[in-house]
Amino acid sequence: MKMFKYIWLKDLKAELYTWKSLAWLLVTSMIFSVIAYLLLTNRELSLLDHTEMLWLFGKIIIGSALLVVVIDASSLITSEFENETIEDLILTPLSVKDFVLGKLFASLTLWLLVYTVAVPYMVVISSGTKLMGAFLGYTALLGTIAVLGFTMFVFAVSFFYRSLKNTLTTSLTLLLALSIPALFSTTLKNNALAKILGSINPLDNIFSSLDNVLVDYKVSIAQNLTFIMPLVLFCVAMFVILIFSTKVFKRRGIIKG
Amino acid sequence: MKQTISILILGLTLFAYPFYARTENASSIELHILSPRTLSGTAGDFVTVQGEITNSNSQAVNNITTYLSLVNADTKMPVDLEDWSADRGLFIETIDAKQTFPLTWKIHFVQAGNYTLTIVADIGGNDMPIASKLVYFKVLPKKNLNPGHVLPVALGEPILIVFAFLALRYWRDRKHH
Repeated sequence: MKMFKYIWLKDLKAELYTWKSLAWLLVTSMIFSVIAYLLLTNRELSLLDHTEMLWLFGKIIIGSALLVVVIDASSLITSEFENETIEDLILTPLSVKDFVLGKLFASLTLWLLVYTVAVPYMVVISSGTKLMGAFLGYTALLGTIAVLGFTMFVFAVSFFYRSLKNTLTTSLTLLLALSIPALFSTTLKNNALAKILGSINPLDNIFSSLDNVLVDYKVSIAQNLTFIMPLVLFCVAMFVILIFSTKVFKRRGIIKG
Repeated sequence: MKQTISILILGLTLFAYPFYARTENASSIELHILSPRTLSGTAGDFVTVQGEITNSNSQAVNNITTYLSLVNADTKMPVDLEDWSADRGLFIETIDAKQTFPLTWKIHFVQAGNYTLTIVADIGGNDMPIASKLVYFKVLPKKNLNPGHVLPVALGEPILIVFAFLALRYWRDRKHH
């Protein structure tokens, strides 16, 4: 068995073994339940255009998943430092690459769980429209790229800080900062600076792509490259930062200095 | 004596003219509905109400505020337009003589029922507003695409997850004993 698989399965067991560690999945499911029910039955909300309902729900799925994954990923590497288990792991024939890859797979598995929980709601909300496939596909694609990018950022910060509190604070602040433009009005988004920031903001690109697919019916990948490319570039940038932070970690060693 | 009477008549005419002009201004403004008098749709639909305001007077009319008035014909009560229309009113600074000004309102049907809509115009300096003829709205209830299927999923999935937790615990306990 490859070494990264060992790390991946070890973390998965820790994540999924008890109901307490899985309680977030129940909470996520309840959030989706309330929103799906309100969207389809509440008098005011049910007046939304059906495509806007899908768009809103897509944003909620990806937003919730990012929140769960960022919080969880913050503890994946830092817990090894705080519990002083990193020393044991490094003494085994385990490379830093395998270590990071195993942790990355564990984070992606959490996203997969959130997505799996969301699928029945997505099917129910989009039934009767021709957008079910596009809705499922684009939520999966955009969510995976976003989760990958954010997880790599969190891991990079984890190697720098080696503390859960600081990593969590920094990661959540970044997530919050990137989410704020989603609250901007259309007028504010037309501002020149807001346009530039929006074009590089991964969350803005996710929401714009979902809007492009679900509201404007531009479902092909080619029609969404404008939004997917900045997301891919965000992932590449986070990958470079992660590589840099692992190199710094290797140079500094387990005990700083 | 004749001169005194002439001055008196002239003075009275000058004094009374503004009141006459106001009355003329008000009577010369007409509101017309251009869209069909009866509009129907389902709750959630948007319809456009088009009208026009015409100044048939030989003088310009200033400071005209036009707005909508919606009444629920079933409850006989006025309706708050908050969710129905984003544009509450339209202020027109001047309508020149013999000029017509188009009026357009996008209306969002919010709740099922029968309604009557009127366009009202307040003209600056006039005590009496001018109203258009009534437009009748017949709003049918919205039939959601999937109201029946959402409840089993909304209730079922969290329950299923709780059962999965219980199964996990049972499996774990069996493994340890």
